[in-house]
Amino acid sequence: MPRSLWNGTIAFGMVRVPVKLYSATESKAVRFRERHCSDGAAIEHRRVCVQEGREIPYGETVKGFEVSSGSYVTLSKEEIATADGPGAHMIEIEHFAHRAEIDPVFYERAYRLGPGKLGDDAYLLLHAALTRSDRVGIGRFVFHNKAHLVALRALEDVIALHTMRFADELIPVDDLEIPAPQRKPSKLEVAAAGTLVEQLSSSFQPDDYEDTYRAALLELIERKARGETIDAPEAEEIAPEDDLLVALQASLERQGGGRSARAKAKTKAKKPPRSRAGKSVGSAR
Amino acid sequence: MAKPLWTGSLSFGLVNVPVALFSATRDRDIHFQLLHAPDCSPIETRRVCAAEEQPVPWPEIARGYELENGEWVLLSDEDLRAAAPRQSRTIDIERFVEVGEIDPVYFDHSYLLVPPDEGAARAYALLSETMGDSGKVALGRFVLRTKERLVCIRVRDSALTLTTMLFGDEVRSSEEIAEGIEGAAPTGEQIESAVAVIEELSVEFDPTLYRDEHRAHLKRIIKRKQQGKKIAAPAPAKEPVTTTAPDLMGALEESLAQIRAQGKAKKPRARARSASKKTPARQA
Repeated sequence: MPRSLWNGTIAFGMVRVPVKLYSATESKAVRFRERHCSDGAAIEHRRVCVQEGREIPYGETVKGFEVSSGSYVTLSKEEIATADGPGAHMIEIEHFAHRAEIDPVFYERAYRLGPGKLGDDAYLLLHAALTRSDRVGIGRFVFHNKAHLVALRALEDVIALHTMRFADELIPVDDLEIPAPQRKPSKLEVAAAGTLVEQLSSSFQPDDYEDTYRAALLELIERKARGETIDAPEAEEIAPEDDLLVALQASLERQGGGRSARAKAKTKAKKPPRSRAGKSVGSAR
Repeated sequence: MAKPLWTGSLSFGLVNVPVALFSATRDRDIHFQLLHAPDCSPIETRRVCAAEEQPVPWPEIARGYELENGEWVLLSDEDLRAAAPRQSRTIDIERFVEVGEIDPVYFDHSYLLVPPDEGAARAYALLSETMGDSGKVALGRFVLRTKERLVCIRVRDSALTLTTMLFGDEVRSSEEIAEGIEGAAPTGEQIESAVAVIEELSVEFDPTLYRDEHRAHLKRIIKRKQQGKKIAAPAPAKEPVTTTAPDLMGALEESLAQIRAQGKAKKPRARARSASKKTPARQA
């Protein structure tokens, strides 16, 4: 059994479900360490007092919040912990919602929950009810001195916990300056692009995708280890398309083998109803 | 506007859409500075070369990969790009799928894609209009920093939003946890009551209902401390944190009775501000 990261209780109405939290993901990225480029030596991170210029052991440190330039309010570990509140041990399900209503932008990290001590029956009940109702529970919990909005849902035979961002952690799209085109895309262009989307449509199969870069990177490391020099890739100017329609038609031709003539004649692409996504909350099995 | 995290282009068929990548989220956490206890002077983390005992400026730090024989290979940013030149500057859209098909367990971080200049605006507008019409999300991939990312791109408030995703082998199996569960399967009656509780507590997801109370509390205690006030120790939890429910059916029935009695409490405007208040910790 993997080691649990957190133990606590889910409050579902008056039902208490003791749970243990486990990680659901693991990065397979190639890992690097910081090294000094001149001699390849290891880089150490040292805590140094700016005033005295010497290294300070962790025991001699305190946490401070800068209230104005150079002026700090210090808080002890215990004082910081007062912010944890009940969320440090308890996830109260405040609401239930449909998964499709949660935009992917909210999701942060995925975990899995297992039953805690004597919690198996209540755990199975919550799992069954989440599956049957096709909904996800929304609550808040505190993990590592930080509160998270969480979604609890049935995933295969277990309950998954997703930490989510609070609404004010999202950057409002209005903050971005998206330049408006001088000339809007024509109906013909939108129709051709719509046909291309249709042609490229399929279902999502996670196993179809493999990280090819990992292997390429490890191969390059091997070449470098043998003393080969690695040529820097040529910088390639990416020019915006002058004629979108020509590019779209060429794409359609490449994709569907000469069907672009018909595609062109087609009126605006059909509008399928917005997907009632996640209809099947627990259907990842 | 802030500096983009990456610039390159989105490739959709033979159409290239130049784009700049920005984070879709911002850090609202309260950050503490580490101070030296006696005089409260700030502590800096310095990177020091272990061989020379000298501080090393950031530009002199390379990524090192340790070989099995203990030797190190150092890689520059150019090396990283050289491993996959095209993928390092192009997000290739491979297919389109329904967003509901992607399990949220794959979602990682979200970014906003913006055309870097007016010249790119038309192709960007074409792609966002087409995707908005189709209601689908584009699946593609590219290399960001040291890792290839599977990504889904969709239109959100008229901006193309990119969410990085995990690869299939980065998601752990549930099996080990599932095999360790030993309880009794719930009865039909229990499930029905539990679903009834869920129905009563169901709302349309509205992220603005939930505030980060933890962050707000930290701000409050910093203020109190600044005014020279004491910070009280946390009150002991009102109920034992690991109670088990020997009588699940009874707990469900009580939950239902309580939620229904409160009636209004179900409505979003009544709750969410203070989660603790409506905790059904005691009999109404």
